[in-house]
Amino acid sequence: MMIRLVSVSKTYQVGTETYPVLRDIDLEVPHGMFTAIIGPSGSGKTTLLNILGGLDVPSQGSYWLNGHDVSHFNREEWAHERNHTIGFVFQSFQLIPSLSALDNVALPLIYRRTPPKQRRILAQEALEQVGLAKRMNHRPTQLSGGQQQRVAIARALIGQPPLILADEPTGNLDHQTGEEILALLESLNRNGKTVIIVTHSHEVADKCRQVVHVEDGHVTLAGVLS
Amino acid sequence: MMWRDGVALALRGLTGNKLRALLTMLGVVIGVAAVIVLVAIGQGASSLVTSRIETLGTNVVFVTPSAGTFYPVSETTTVARVLPSGDHVVPVMSTGAKISTPDNQSSALIDGTTPKYFALGGLSLASGHFLTTPELEQAQHVAVLGANQAANLFNGMNPVGSSVMILGQQFTVIGVLNAVGQGPGASQDNAIFIPLSVSEFLFSTNQLSELIIQAPSPNIANLSADELTRLYTNALGSANAVSVASEDQVLQTLQATRSTFTDLLAGTAAIALLVGGIGIMNIMLVSVTERTREIGIRQALGATREDVLLQFLIESMVLSLSGGILGAAIGVGLTQLVPVILKTPAIFSPSALVLAFVFSTAVGLIFGLYPAFKASALEPIHALRYDG
Ligand SMILES: Nc1ncnc2c1ncn2[C@@H]1O[C@H](COP(=O)(O)OP(=O)(O)OP(=O)(O)O)[C@@H](O)[C@H]1O
Ligand SMILES: [Mg+2]
Repeated sequence: MMIRLVSVSKTYQVGTETYPVLRDIDLEVPHGMFTAIIGPSGSGKTTLLNILGGLDVPSQGSYWLNGHDVSHFNREEWAHERNHTIGFVFQSFQLIPSLSALDNVALPLIYRRTPPKQRRILAQEALEQVGLAKRMNHRPTQLSGGQQQRVAIARALIGQPPLILADEPTGNLDHQTGEEILALLESLNRNGKTVIIVTHSHEVADKCRQVVHVEDGHVTLAGVLS
Repeated sequence: MMWRDGVALALRGLTGNKLRALLTMLGVVIGVAAVIVLVAIGQGASSLVTSRIETLGTNVVFVTPSAGTFYPVSETTTVARVLPSGDHVVPVMSTGAKISTPDNQSSALIDGTTPKYFALGGLSLASGHFLTTPELEQAQHVAVLGANQAANLFNGMNPVGSSVMILGQQFTVIGVLNAVGQGPGASQDNAIFIPLSVSEFLFSTNQLSELIIQAPSPNIANLSADELTRLYTNALGSANAVSVASEDQVLQTLQATRSTFTDLLAGTAAIALLVGGIGIMNIMLVSVTERTREIGIRQALGATREDVLLQFLIESMVLSLSGGILGAAIGVGLTQLVPVILKTPAIFSPSALVLAFVFSTAVGLIFGLYPAFKASALEPIHALRYDG
């Protein structure tokens, strides 16, 4: 099992009020699965994905990631885990504006102490894989949205993590470009990666083998194919 | 984050925003440049002083009357009689007077003295000769001019052989002294030396203002001020209270002055570097805020707290050290200009350079610590969502 959540809850405290966002969630995602998380706006999809990626911590419950209990991981342990196990793709791309595409892609390797020369070679390969070999030295502002998202995907790939987490990766792109990005993620999945994407689009969800509905802080599983 | 990556990143940040980097560094630049120049001036001044002191004869003591009392010329022989044989006693009678040439006039301290003053006072001649024994014994109207007097009265021409008027009497210039510049002995530049016998007559007095005594044994110079005072008060008779300073004591006084100067310098440097450090801290805090999202991204991709801390710490150190290098370059440049512009010697000291680098790096480290800590304490989830 790539992911196993057992009665995970998340509440946010704003002032004196507590808002339950996720209530008592159980979720299993097998290795190699292509999973969609869908649900209305504000239902807690991003919160769920952030918990899966260790960017946010559950208020309650336990979490097994890739066979390890990560429920009580501290910040340093999570930094290591994110670097080795998870590749992130964000709706707003989240590239560093002052760095070239190549340097953005190479970032995860810096935190693995990979020597610069090797970083460069691997980043070039990753950019070739997403079809951006010719744009290596462009800054994010010199790239289109679709190209930026490809850079972000290359960055998610470079460390060869088994799990890709994508929060509305096509949300800021036109339909055509969105399709291309999705195709890229599908091909990654075919090559063995577990891919989880948050989406509003049923069209996208239909392509996924597992669909997780989030509503009112509860999840219901639909369409698990295997 | 490895050091190499951190430095490369910081340098790119610096060159990416040159004006801002420059303004941020300004405090450190000025601080380091000031320290280097001031140290050079200090070294120049003290080497000048030391070399002056070294030209004075050894075992020289200066005997001056305590306020109000002056001893008569005849005491010279009394002193000479009481002192162990071989001691040289040089009497000095200093009086202010107006002097003039047909073209110029000025005022000077006229030192009536004997030929031995030349050696004991550590003088050196630019041209001509110093007072001689025949000139003293025959009370000839001859004068030796300090460098400034010669320059002012004769408009830079060699005055040897010309005449000057002192208190309405005509004197032949027989010699001109080398310029001393700054430090003790600088008063010589403005002095005029005439035979003691002439000044007694010219100013109608037999009151001396100072005795310079050279003892043959180093024992004298090694005596404490109190012991010396007792010795010479005995020699001169209790009616002539004196105060005595030996060369050693003059040196000690100088040393004390020099250490005061060093303290002052250290204070100035500390303030300049403090101001520079605050500037760096300020801009680093701004930088952390501006780059909150970048920090979040790095954390999402696997940067640990230590990685983020190190990145910003390296950046502030690179900033400060660059300021230090720039400041050092400016300081070294100014050091070359000091002798030309300020007419005082400046000696560049490599240790000041080393100190400047050490301090500017330390400033970057100390004042970068808090901003770097703030950056490393950011929560990735909040940092990622930050839009600024
Ligand atoms: N830091 C926070 N503090 C308080 N409440 C929060 C915080 N983050 C999220 N929430 C709340 O949690 C709920 C779920 O937010 P989340 O971003 O997970 O929704 P979402 O399903 O991703 O929505 P969308 O489809 O619009 O992206 C929302 O009601 C939101 O107000
Ligand atoms: Mg969302």
